[in-house]
Amino acid sequence: MDLGRLKNRFIAKIITRFPSLADRFVIPYTPRDSLAVPWTPVTKSLDQSTIAVVTTAGVHHKDQKPFDMRDREGDPSYRVIDLRKGLSSLMITHDYYDHADADKDINVVFPVERLKEFEKEGLIGRVADLHYGFMGHITGRHIPALTTESAPAVARKLKTDKVDLVLLSPG
Amino acid sequence: MGLIQREIERAGVPTIGVSIVRAYSERVKPPRTIFLKWPYGHPFGEPFHPAQQRVVLAEAFRALYAIRDPGTIIDLPYKWKRERYDDKDIGAILPRGPQ
Repeated sequence: MDLGRLKNRFIAKIITRFPSLADRFVIPYTPRDSLAVPWTPVTKSLDQSTIAVVTTAGVHHKDQKPFDMRDREGDPSYRVIDLRKGLSSLMITHDYYDHADADKDINVVFPVERLKEFEKEGLIGRVADLHYGFMGHITGRHIPALTTESAPAVARKLKTDKVDLVLLSPG
Repeated sequence: MGLIQREIERAGVPTIGVSIVRAYSERVKPPRTIFLKWPYGHPFGEPFHPAQQRVVLAEAFRALYAIRDPGTIIDLPYKWKRERYDDKDIGAILPRGPQ
């Protein structure tokens, strides 16, 4: 592991313990101001809806290529997470937050077991089979790749998957 | 996260985001957000604490149906560990459906 990655992990641990320091390390990375807010009305009831999670906590399958942690501007690519492979097939690659707790229980950042319970209890319609994983912390030149390529590609997949509602979870 | 959320919403799928950095959500302006002043890396709470995780999930769904103004951030009152979660009624938090 190179020094840059160790430094990022060290900062991530400090920020998790002392959130007030985040103003110095995290807020300056804020990508840009947005103006108009896109909007799609909710029309289906919750107990009829198929739900998918899109997470930026760095979740992916162990047999997939990990997110690129050497690029200082992040990695705008995404991974398809197939729940049918089981939670033990998942791991987290992300140096910019301390995921020790999420490594123990993935539901802390990717609450699919709770969603499955809601499905079983009839509170929601269905949990989708396919979910989508990104790595947060995307800045600089990768922002256009995210907003014009990978995020719209995932949006199209969600539509193809007939997903009605999407829950977004950070790291 | 918010930038991805905006693109999914733009494509026609309603979204709700869980935020633990309010300043991000204020600037990026995703369509619907719930905010928790909780440690990074813990948007749904502590490991192996299903009652806490279920409350956040239910609050996310409530906000999905309750928010009317694009860009709204709902500040949730839950005080991390100084809160009882196992006595919360999930059914009372969840939305009844589109109104």
